[in-house]
Amino acid sequence: MKIRFGRNGLLVTILFLAFFLRIFFYFSNLPKYVNGTKLRITTRVLSEAIIYSTSQYLKLMGYKLYLPLYPRIYYGDKVIIEGIVEDQIIKSAKLISIDEKRGILYQYRQKIISFFERSLPKSHAALVAGITIGSKSGIGEELWNKLKNSGTAHVVVASGMNVSLVASFLISILILFLPRRKASIFALIGIWIYAVVSGFDAPIVRATIMGSTSLLAVETGRIYKSLRVLVITGLFLLFVKPEWIGDLGFWLTTFATGSIIVFYRRVKKLFKFVPKIINEDWSTTVSAQIGVVPLLYYFFGQFNLLSPVINVAVLWTVVPITIIGMVGGIVGTIFEPLGRIILYLCYPLTSWFLAVVNFVG
Amino acid sequence: MSKRWKIFFVLLVLATVTVWLSVFSTSSGGLKVISCNIGQGDASLIIYKNFEILIDGGPNNKVLDCLSTYMPFWDREIEVVMITHPQADHYTGIISVLDNYKVDKILANALNSSNQSYQLLKNKTLLMGIDVINPVRGTSIRSNLIQLDILYPTESFLAENYRQLTAGNDSGEVSSASSGSLGAFESKLDPNEFSIISLLRFGSFKFLFTGDASVKILDDLATTMSESGDNSINYIKIPHHGSKSALSERFYGAIKIGVASISVGKNSYGHPRPEILDLLKKHNIQVFRTDELGDIVFETDGNSIWTDN
Repeated sequence: MKIRFGRNGLLVTILFLAFFLRIFFYFSNLPKYVNGTKLRITTRVLSEAIIYSTSQYLKLMGYKLYLPLYPRIYYGDKVIIEGIVEDQIIKSAKLISIDEKRGILYQYRQKIISFFERSLPKSHAALVAGITIGSKSGIGEELWNKLKNSGTAHVVVASGMNVSLVASFLISILILFLPRRKASIFALIGIWIYAVVSGFDAPIVRATIMGSTSLLAVETGRIYKSLRVLVITGLFLLFVKPEWIGDLGFWLTTFATGSIIVFYRRVKKLFKFVPKIINEDWSTTVSAQIGVVPLLYYFFGQFNLLSPVINVAVLWTVVPITIIGMVGGIVGTIFEPLGRIILYLCYPLTSWFLAVVNFVG
Repeated sequence: MSKRWKIFFVLLVLATVTVWLSVFSTSSGGLKVISCNIGQGDASLIIYKNFEILIDGGPNNKVLDCLSTYMPFWDREIEVVMITHPQADHYTGIISVLDNYKVDKILANALNSSNQSYQLLKNKTLLMGIDVINPVRGTSIRSNLIQLDILYPTESFLAENYRQLTAGNDSGEVSSASSGSLGAFESKLDPNEFSIISLLRFGSFKFLFTGDASVKILDDLATTMSESGDNSINYIKIPHHGSKSALSERFYGAIKIGVASISVGKNSYGHPRPEILDLLKKHNIQVFRTDELGDIVFETDGNSIWTDN
C-alpha cells in the first residue's frame, strides 16, 4: 500500500478520520439486546435466504435466524419476525407477516434460478446457479460442506471472478459491433446490472467497483494501480456498509484479490515448469490461497492443503459453465425448451465438477 | 484453427458427451423401488423406464436429492405423485417437487389439513392445473408392465368419516369424493386412518406401500388381501416408520412377506419400535432401514429381485 503523505496528505488524513468515526458511531449506536429478550423485527430482506432441507436461513439486521421452509422469503420482501435474542441468533423465530416487494431484476434472477432447477438435477442446478449468478440458496448443507472442504466454495458464491467473466464476455461480444469506447460503456452498464441480479453481495460489489474503475482508467488513460484501488474500494465499502466488517465474503474477496495482485507474477515465475495450459489457474489459485488460508483457518479452523490441485482440476469448467449457464438461462426465460437444450451442454462439465468435489470432499 | 472453429469444436464435444451421458443415465429394463432417505418421514420412488411414481415426499426437500440421483437427468416429468395422507412428514417435500418437476397426476385423499404448507400445496396444484384423483379401493393405475392397485381407503369408510369443510366449498355429495380435489373434507379421525394403501404389481412381483396405516386397517387388509389371492408379497414399506400403532399380529401372520423397508430418521418416538422389529424377525422378514443404510434400492427384472444395500 502506497499512500504518500505529500500533496494529498491532509485529504487522506481527513478521509481516514471520517472512516473511523463512521465505523465507530455505527457500532456504538447499534442497539444491544440482552440474551432472552423477545424481539420483533420489521425490515426489508436484503440478503438471499439459504434453503436447507428443513429450514431457510436468513440474516436480518445483524441477526441470524432460521424459519420453516414455507412460505419462502425472497430478497426485497418486507417481513415482520418475532423471536428471542441469543447472542447473534434469534431463536424460535416466527414469521408474523410478509409483504412481497421484489424488484424487477431480482424477480428475473429468481426466474433464471427456477429455470435451472426445473431443468437439471438438484446439485447440478445449484452449481450452475452458484457459478453464473452467485446464488447459494439451493446448494444445501451436504454439497456446501463438500465445496468448503475441497476449497472450491469460492466458485459458487458470488465472487469477483463472475464479474470479470461478465465484463470480458460482454466486451468480447460488444467489440464486434461497437467502437471500443462504446463497448466499454455498455460493458460497464452490463456489470452493474449483473451486480444487481447477483443480489449485491459484498464480493460482487467489490469486484464491480474495481472492474468499473479499471475500465474507466483504461478509457481515461489513467494509470490503474490495482492494490491502491482495492484498498480504497474496501474502505469505501466499509464506510457505506459498516456491517460488512463481520462478513466473511467481504474479507475473502478482499484478501484473495489482494494476494493475487501481490503474488500472482512471483508465483507464476516460481512454477515455470507447470504446463502452460494449467499454469494460469494454478498460479491464480496458489496466490489467492496465500491470503485466504489464514482467513479460512481463523474462521473455520481448517483448510485443505490440496485445494490448489483440486482447483486446477475443476476451474477450467467454470468459464464454459458460466457462459453456457448465462446464455441458456436468458434463452430459457424466453423459450424454455431451447434454453434447456443449451443448458444440457454444461451437464458434462457440472458432472465432472461434482465428481471431483464428491471424491475429495 | 480459428477461434470460431475452436468454439464449434468444444460445443460439439460437449453435445456428444451429453448425449452419451443421457444414454448411460437411462435405466435398464428393470423396475426400481426406492425408499428415499429423507429423515423421519416417508418417500418412496418407483421407476420403470421413464415412468415414475412418487409415493409421499417426506418432511423436507431432501426428496429432490433422491429424484436427482435415480431419475435420468433429462427426465423432468413424474407421471404420478401420491400423497398417502395430509401429514407434514408425508407431503412437505411434494411442494418442492411441484416447483422442480412436471407432475402429471396427483393421487391423494380429499382430507384437508389446516397446515399453512398444505394450503400452499393445494394452491400450487390448483394453479398448475394438475389432475387430482382421490383414489378408493378398486382404483387402479396402469402403464406398460406396471400396475398400481389401491387397496384402501374404501368408499364406505370415506362416506362415513368425511365431513364437508364448512368454509365455502362447492362440491356437493360426499360420494363425489373420488372425482378429484385436495382438502375438500375434514374429519374427527386421525389423518393416519385415511392412509392410502397401494399394491404395485410388476410381472409376478408385488410391492406394498402402507402410508401410516394403523393396526385396525392392517387387520382388515390381511383379510382383503388373502381373499384376493395376494397373501404373498415381495416387499412392504412398513407403516408409520415402525410405530407400535401398526403392530398387527394378524397381518404379518396372514401375509407372507419377502423384505421390508422402514423409512425412519432421528426421532423422539422411539421409531422403529422394538416390538415391530421383533415381530418382523419372528416372521423371518429381512429389514432394511433408511436411517442405517441411506436410500434403499430394490431392483427387479421380473425374474428375481436384488438390492445393493
